[in-house]
Amino acid sequence: MTTLTRQDLNFGQVVADVLCEFLEVAVHLILYVREVYPVGIFQKRKKYNVPVQMSCHPELNQYIQDTLHCVKPLLEKGGGGGVWVTRFWSRGFLFLQNDVEKVVVVILDKEHRPVEKFVFEITQPPLLSISSDSLLSHVEQLLRAFILKISVCDAVLDHNPPGCTFTVLVHTREAATRNMEKIQVIKDFPWILADEQDVHMHDPRLIPLKTMTSDILKMQLYVEERAHKSS
Amino acid sequence: MRRGGWRRRAESDGWEKWGGYMAAKVQKLEEQFRSDATIQKDGTSSTIFSGVAIYVNGYTDPSAEELRKLMMLHGGQYHVYYSRSKTTHIIATNLPNAKIKELKGEKVIRPEWIVESIKAGRLLSCIPYQLYSKPSNMQKGLNFNPACKAEESVPGPSSVAKQLNNRVNHIIKKVETENEVKVNGVNSWNEEDANNFSFTELEQIFPGRKQNGIPHHRDSAAIFNGHTPSSNGALKTQDCLVPLGHSVASRLSPDFTQEEEQAEKSRTDFRDCVVQQSPQSTRNTDAMRNPHRTNSFSLSSLHSNTKINGAHYSAVQGPSSTKSTSSVPTLSKAAPSVPSKPSDCNFISDFYSRSRLHHISMWKCELTEFVNTLQRQSSGIFPGREKLKKMKTGRSALVVTDTGNMSVLSSPRHQSCIMHVDMDCFFVSVGIRNRPDLKGKPVAVTSNRGTGRAPLRPGANPQLEWQYYQNKVLKGRAEIPDASLWENQDSAQANGIDSVLSKAEIASCSYEARQVGIRNGMFFGQAKQLCPSLQAVPYDFHAYKEVARTMYETLASYTHSIEAVSCDEALVDITEILAETRLTPDEFANAVRMEIKDQTKCAASVGIGSNILLARMATRKAKPDGQYHLKPEEVDDFIRGQLVSNLPGVGRSMESKLTALGIKTCGDLQYMTMAKLQKEFGPKTGQMLYRFCRGLDDRPVRTEKERKSISAEINYGIRFTQPKEAEAFLLNLSEEIQRRLEAAGVKGKRLTLKVMVRKPGAPVETAKFGGHGICDNVARTVTLDQATDSAKIIGKAALNMFHTMKLNISDMRGVGIQVNQLVPTNPNPSACPSRPSVPSGHFPGGSHSVLDLFQVQKAKKSTEEEHEEVFLAAMDLEISPASRNCTFLPPFSTHLTSSVNPVTSKAESSGKWNGLHSPISLKSRLNLSIEVPSPSQLDQSVLEALPPDLREQVEQACAVQQGELHGDKKKEPVNGCNTGILPQPVGTVLLQIPEPQESNSDTGINVIALPAFSQVDPEVFAALPAELQKELKAAYDQRQRQGENAAHQQPAAAAVPKNLFRQLKPASVKEKKRNKKKNPISPPKKIQSPLKNKLLNSPVKTLPGACGSPQKLIDGFLKHESPASEKPLGELSASTSGVPGLSGSQPEPAGCGRPPAPNLAGAVEFSDVKTLLKEWITTISDPMEEDILQVVKYCTDLIEEKDLEKLDLVIKYMKRLMQQSVESVWNMAFDFILDNVQVVLQQTYGSTLKVT
Repeated sequence: MTTLTRQDLNFGQVVADVLCEFLEVAVHLILYVREVYPVGIFQKRKKYNVPVQMSCHPELNQYIQDTLHCVKPLLEKGGGGGVWVTRFWSRGFLFLQNDVEKVVVVILDKEHRPVEKFVFEITQPPLLSISSDSLLSHVEQLLRAFILKISVCDAVLDHNPPGCTFTVLVHTREAATRNMEKIQVIKDFPWILADEQDVHMHDPRLIPLKTMTSDILKMQLYVEERAHKSS
Repeated sequence: MRRGGWRRRAESDGWEKWGGYMAAKVQKLEEQFRSDATIQKDGTSSTIFSGVAIYVNGYTDPSAEELRKLMMLHGGQYHVYYSRSKTTHIIATNLPNAKIKELKGEKVIRPEWIVESIKAGRLLSCIPYQLYSKPSNMQKGLNFNPACKAEESVPGPSSVAKQLNNRVNHIIKKVETENEVKVNGVNSWNEEDANNFSFTELEQIFPGRKQNGIPHHRDSAAIFNGHTPSSNGALKTQDCLVPLGHSVASRLSPDFTQEEEQAEKSRTDFRDCVVQQSPQSTRNTDAMRNPHRTNSFSLSSLHSNTKINGAHYSAVQGPSSTKSTSSVPTLSKAAPSVPSKPSDCNFISDFYSRSRLHHISMWKCELTEFVNTLQRQSSGIFPGREKLKKMKTGRSALVVTDTGNMSVLSSPRHQSCIMHVDMDCFFVSVGIRNRPDLKGKPVAVTSNRGTGRAPLRPGANPQLEWQYYQNKVLKGRAEIPDASLWENQDSAQANGIDSVLSKAEIASCSYEARQVGIRNGMFFGQAKQLCPSLQAVPYDFHAYKEVARTMYETLASYTHSIEAVSCDEALVDITEILAETRLTPDEFANAVRMEIKDQTKCAASVGIGSNILLARMATRKAKPDGQYHLKPEEVDDFIRGQLVSNLPGVGRSMESKLTALGIKTCGDLQYMTMAKLQKEFGPKTGQMLYRFCRGLDDRPVRTEKERKSISAEINYGIRFTQPKEAEAFLLNLSEEIQRRLEAAGVKGKRLTLKVMVRKPGAPVETAKFGGHGICDNVARTVTLDQATDSAKIIGKAALNMFHTMKLNISDMRGVGIQVNQLVPTNPNPSACPSRPSVPSGHFPGGSHSVLDLFQVQKAKKSTEEEHEEVFLAAMDLEISPASRNCTFLPPFSTHLTSSVNPVTSKAESSGKWNGLHSPISLKSRLNLSIEVPSPSQLDQSVLEALPPDLREQVEQACAVQQGELHGDKKKEPVNGCNTGILPQPVGTVLLQIPEPQESNSDTGINVIALPAFSQVDPEVFAALPAELQKELKAAYDQRQRQGENAAHQQPAAAAVPKNLFRQLKPASVKEKKRNKKKNPISPPKKIQSPLKNKLLNSPVKTLPGACGSPQKLIDGFLKHESPASEKPLGELSASTSGVPGLSGSQPEPAGCGRPPAPNLAGAVEFSDVKTLLKEWITTISDPMEEDILQVVKYCTDLIEEKDLEKLDLVIKYMKRLMQQSVESVWNMAFDFILDNVQVVLQQTYGSTLKVT
């Protein structure tokens, strides 16, 4: 395998592929661990050489896939932006402008107020190259650690109130709002503007879960939790 | 002394002889007049003109005969012959050029003054009726357009044009004969100016133009904006200010020659400016002549005599309204009072030259700059302070022997003491200081000088707008009320009175006016209704500036620790003064107030408190014309009784929010928890409120402020008809922005275009003429690829944004461009040497030279012990003026005040150096530093290529160094080190002159300016072509090798890195340092911190060998050297803490091109950090403050590095250890660390860490 540098076109794709693959697993696992959906719809699978839980509800799976499909071009470009959301069962993808690029899985309570946010903060490492890790095995190890962290995160989090739903926000870097419309990869799955109330959480507490730094990717995961979940 | 033409002619013509006859004749005429007057007197007579003697010159309406009668009737005098001594007013409607010259300085008034005065039944101020205004009166120009006075007669346009043309010609002539005119000077006819020495200096440049009162706004623009003919940038003031600063400084130190030079320079500049303007004026005059006046004539300098702000009472409609414009020629009354059209290129400069808010904000920048200039030129002697000292000694018969050396340090008992000086209703007191008749009366400064009414323009619907704003204020939301509701009233009004209340804003009003409920910012018409006797005083920007400057000069004679809050408001740190003069705050405040009153004839109020907040609050209590010292023991009671609205930062919206919460006073507010406040108002504001309502405020008096954004916005008179106009306007605005960016020496990356668009449903014609009315704000932001200050790029981006908005052009009411994310402009490599006097606003110490540095060193040498010298020299060479990540780590142990100035001076000269040699464009000119290599390493050819003055400096520097070398062997390593290696502090660029043979063989670059390893931006690095990357790598390797060699060969070199570590601590936060020294929190330290031991003992362990950085080797040497070198520093700095402790950690280049990983005293891995922390916490019973801060810094670094996981672990680990500790100090330490971390987290992530 040849050395990939930042300039190479498919380098971004590689990173985006790796990320999306990981995010899909992570979203499923979060939904399972945080008991957003009944345990019955999840199945045990193996990913990154550890057991994970994946939903087998076709519509939910489709939705997660679709949304990640929409996120992918953004990850490839490492930017772009907009303020949009798609809706599915009153859950959706939101895009917010921010300097930091984040993918956030938000768990909302019945009143649609955020209870928990799983924030994947993704930055690019200063010097991109995968020459030293051509099989990405190191990255895989690191991602595995993330997965394991997620599966035990309920230990540090308070219980969620019943009847939660979820939504996913993407905080993008700046600008290029217009591009968002072009990036509408899947038909009938448009971006919708995010409301501040969907995003803002009262009195958040931050619980860092995991940080990784690899040659291709720098990512950290933390949870923002509402101080009083039941209120 | 006045030496007008009359007198001169009188002397040469032998008036003396004839004088006898004339005197007799005049006498006789006067008697005749008096007797006539007694006969004529009947019921309608009065004495309003008593003391007034008029002389009618030329044709007037009413005629001279009628005026004579009127004067008779109303107690005035009428002179048939003009007498300079007796005649008080000259009445004329039109004066030829020659006469104007003769009558310079005399009051020439239009006859309407008499008529109107009689009508009003009292003597009106003649100023509004002046035929041409006095020079200090920059707001008004030639008054040929008596806009709103229906009964006035106005000369036809042709005569106006002719007149103007005459004057323009006259100007040109004046400019030519400028030197001669200067002799007669402004002083002779504007005595006020004589007070302000420096200012007259500038004004003399314009005598011709002033006398004639032609484009006065241009004068002002020129004065305010330096010599740029296109004028108007708020930031263009530096050029102008430099000479001013000099002249002020020269008062302090009698260096008049220098000042002369400066003045001369500015003179030339201004001359250029005048000459350039003249043709323009001529052109405009031509336009005026044209009988078919079109829109194009309504531009630029001539008719901009009418203020934009004042223009609303003219009967003419907005410039875009074709109907009214076409009617202009027929309406002779309506004179050309139309403001410039926005599409005109002069519009922007015109607008800014007459915008009150613009002037105010500009003055602030100017005065800040002024204070900075003073600081740079400070000789350490404050005349005012000396005077006070004398006064004090005289009074108390105390002999103060060593006042010179006395400083805050020596008298720590003094609490910090901030004084807030605020002029009382500034605009008013300045406006009436020469008009005693207005004292004690309700006075308002506003652009409207009439009755407070203005003619109603068709289409305008003031009620509707008023209603809208009311709704907005009351309900927090606003909808446009149904216009039809108002129609009836409208028409009723149109039938009844065809005028509406004036919408001119009151900029300031006197205390008498405030008593009846008039407030600043109120519309004049409304105020006039409240108080019919309200007097309007016009703006006088010139005088404001003058008074403001005088006030600042007064303050600066005591101290230079002044923060310019605005033109009439300043914060002064008087801690030091009080300590030195031993005055009580009240005594000092009194002295300052007296002096300000003496100098400016305006009253100032003074509040004194232990911090900025309290000082400000105290001023409120002191007003008007008083002083109040808020003593620490009174603070609690005082603050509880204060209304929340009195707190700075609490505006109307926040007040209403607080009121909704049931909070009125600070006492109420104190019951709120921090969490609640932060929830309500956001993290920062919440915290601010929480602290403020307890009287806590830790903001230092900042003498220098960094600008966060630069913008230019105009929302007056924007009426476009075509997209092209709007586009052209945007481009013009971009140029304005460019000027401002350039003047500030910054570039911006983020652009915001703000447009105000008429709200759908709002009336097309606004209530305020040219105002923006009810608007929606639309904004677009882009981030550019690179920071820029180019008008082209900005303009292009602005146009793009503008097009995406897809606006209706005619609905645009305001346009603004804002630039954010500012970075200092790179010193341009080619331009730098050629213009050494770059505006020095951003150089902390621009005026010093390398030479100074060494002189300081020399001076020190004579007094200090030898080993101390090594230390000092090393320090001086290595301290960077301002390192970027200073924020979290204030300096404690180093005491470098003495060396800061010389060092900062290096920054500037190094700019030149790099400009000459550096192939790499430098990132930040703020943080440049220069290393002078040892003489043996100097490349002679390079030296020869330098400009002579630079060369001299370098040579001298080397000579000094050489001297040192010979004098003391110990110094040698220091020099060796400097040239060779050296981990640079953040932001420092090393000008490295490597050994010739090496550079020749390897890189082929003779002189390389390589930033520190840690400074290499990996992105930039990656973007470089492969060859370049290689080359750079090689260079770094070489440097590393050199470093290693140097370190190996010269163990004593350790002294240098030792000092380097000190740089970590921000030299710039001097203020804090001083505070700390006053109240040393951490006790004197005898035990060596284990953290430090750790660092010293295990450099190899903490730093994996593969890194190959020179630094760790040096760390190793530290061990041997530090105990020896610490001691002298401890003595030197008189600081309580001799041991630098953890401060020794330096960002470690972790690998090629990587930014340094956050580390705690070199420990990067969590296990290392853990061991380190454990050792620290378990062995020490009393943690040192700087160690704690080091930990905080490490934590914040982790946050920046987005390594929250590790941060969490570190915090948890510390919590466990520290809370287990028996010492309560550790508990407190943990709380402190946690608080700090939480604040940073809050800022970065908007949430705080959950600590369980």
